[in-house]
Amino acid sequence: MNSLSNSDLILNIEDLHMTFDAELFKTVSLKDRFVRTLTLQGKQVSALHVLKGLNLKLEQGDKIGILGVNGSGKTTLCRLIAGILVPTSGSIALNGECRSIFNTTIGVIPELTGRENAALLVKFIFPRESLAVQAQLLEDALDFSELNEFLDIPFQNYSKGMQARICLSVISAKECDLLILDEVFDGADLFFQEKMRIRISDIIERSGATILVSHSLDQIRSVCNKVLVLDAGKIQFFGDVEKGIKAYRFLDNGLASFRGEL
Amino acid sequence: MANKLEFRQFWQQVMALTSANMRSRYRNTIAGFLWVVLNPLIMYSVQSFVFRKFLKIEVPNYSLFLLCGLLPWIFVVMSIDMITPVLDSSRELLKSFNISPFVLALAQVFDNFINFLFAFFLVLIPTWGMSDLSFTGIFFIPLALIFLVSGVIGMCFLLSVMQIFFKDVRFITSFVINILFFMTPIFYPVEYVPAEYRFLISYNPIFAMIEPFRYCIYDYDFNVLVFKLFKSGVVSVSFVAIAIIFWKRKRNEFFIKL
Repeated sequence: MNSLSNSDLILNIEDLHMTFDAELFKTVSLKDRFVRTLTLQGKQVSALHVLKGLNLKLEQGDKIGILGVNGSGKTTLCRLIAGILVPTSGSIALNGECRSIFNTTIGVIPELTGRENAALLVKFIFPRESLAVQAQLLEDALDFSELNEFLDIPFQNYSKGMQARICLSVISAKECDLLILDEVFDGADLFFQEKMRIRISDIIERSGATILVSHSLDQIRSVCNKVLVLDAGKIQFFGDVEKGIKAYRFLDNGLASFRGEL
Repeated sequence: MANKLEFRQFWQQVMALTSANMRSRYRNTIAGFLWVVLNPLIMYSVQSFVFRKFLKIEVPNYSLFLLCGLLPWIFVVMSIDMITPVLDSSRELLKSFNISPFVLALAQVFDNFINFLFAFFLVLIPTWGMSDLSFTGIFFIPLALIFLVSGVIGMCFLLSVMQIFFKDVRFITSFVINILFFMTPIFYPVEYVPAEYRFLISYNPIFAMIEPFRYCIYDYDFNVLVFKLFKSGVVSVSFVAIAIIFWKRKRNEFFIKL
């Protein structure tokens, strides 16, 4: 991953391709592999081309909602930007720090208490902050979660809603240059969802740029100022929110008819 | 690369997770921690009794001889047993946040290593002190420990990554370890092995990392010890290198397979 010189440009993706071998999902044990070798079954190369030549620029203040059917490459794209995956070819240049979250009901060590898990999450989500700032972020997140006396019971005994409260409170404790939220709004109860929506909106406003993956069109409308529609590994639309949502709805009927409407 | 952590930040994550692992494992109880010392002591007592009284193995200072091999062996085996499934059982965590799998594996190795050091200093050093053997080899123990822990880190990380690709790595490893226990001269001296079978011992990588402890503590000989340390270092560096190469080649497939 490279860095950028233009200070307004947060992310620059050029000709991004991501391919992996479909065989990965076939051999599940060494025993299988051994039998296949013995029976001279050669390796069949069947590449899955998940992302096909993507180009994308994000600037300061961009709030992008990514829409696409399951398997269109949304999460793969987010993982590539977050630096978890390495592209097969092409380049991803990032200006600043990227923070990404893909699930909000997960404990680092579920046997430990909510408080201890929150402390570990702070270490993993804000590793670059000083110990004093990490302690402050933890205190703020625990206060915001309003779990009070429940903080000292094991995380594994929490309901999904309580687990989401811990994770979301930590995630939303501090802004960053590029924030990636992949279907993370679900889980918390209604009252807390509203409280969290306000806090996350505030963090998004203060962050450089945001990428939000969600199937909720209302969330996309309320948070984003641009929409990117992915289909079969290609960007089918990038721009205005309402037009993007329309393009997404046309995926079933074929984008050609949508382009006709435009 | 803007997202890469500095060593200090990476280290803070490892230490925080090691400490959390230990709290989870012992649930803040003294009894839990005592088990760390009791476990190798019970293993050692049973083996020492059986091999001395039943099998009549005649080795001077047999208790010390056995401890020199048994404690590092228990560290290696427990690490393999605990760390091979660690990434597999942390799939959801690895998919949810940008956490290095290496942090998860390393924290488990350090958890085990701290236990090993406690057992080492509370059981082995006093037994050594009570014997009439030379203490000169003690200066080489830190080097033997570094090679041992580095080799175990490389080996266990490799196995834990492989476990994501092949669901039976854990069972095969466990099977191989059971066989290796009898093929590794821990409870019997290497001299008991007939010359034509010694090659089996020479190619045993786990024994290569354990053997220097015996030459530091039980059978100190500077020249032999230097050679054994060199061999241990080569094995350790090889494990680390293989783990790094495997990870670099399989990193993408690892995260896709999660």
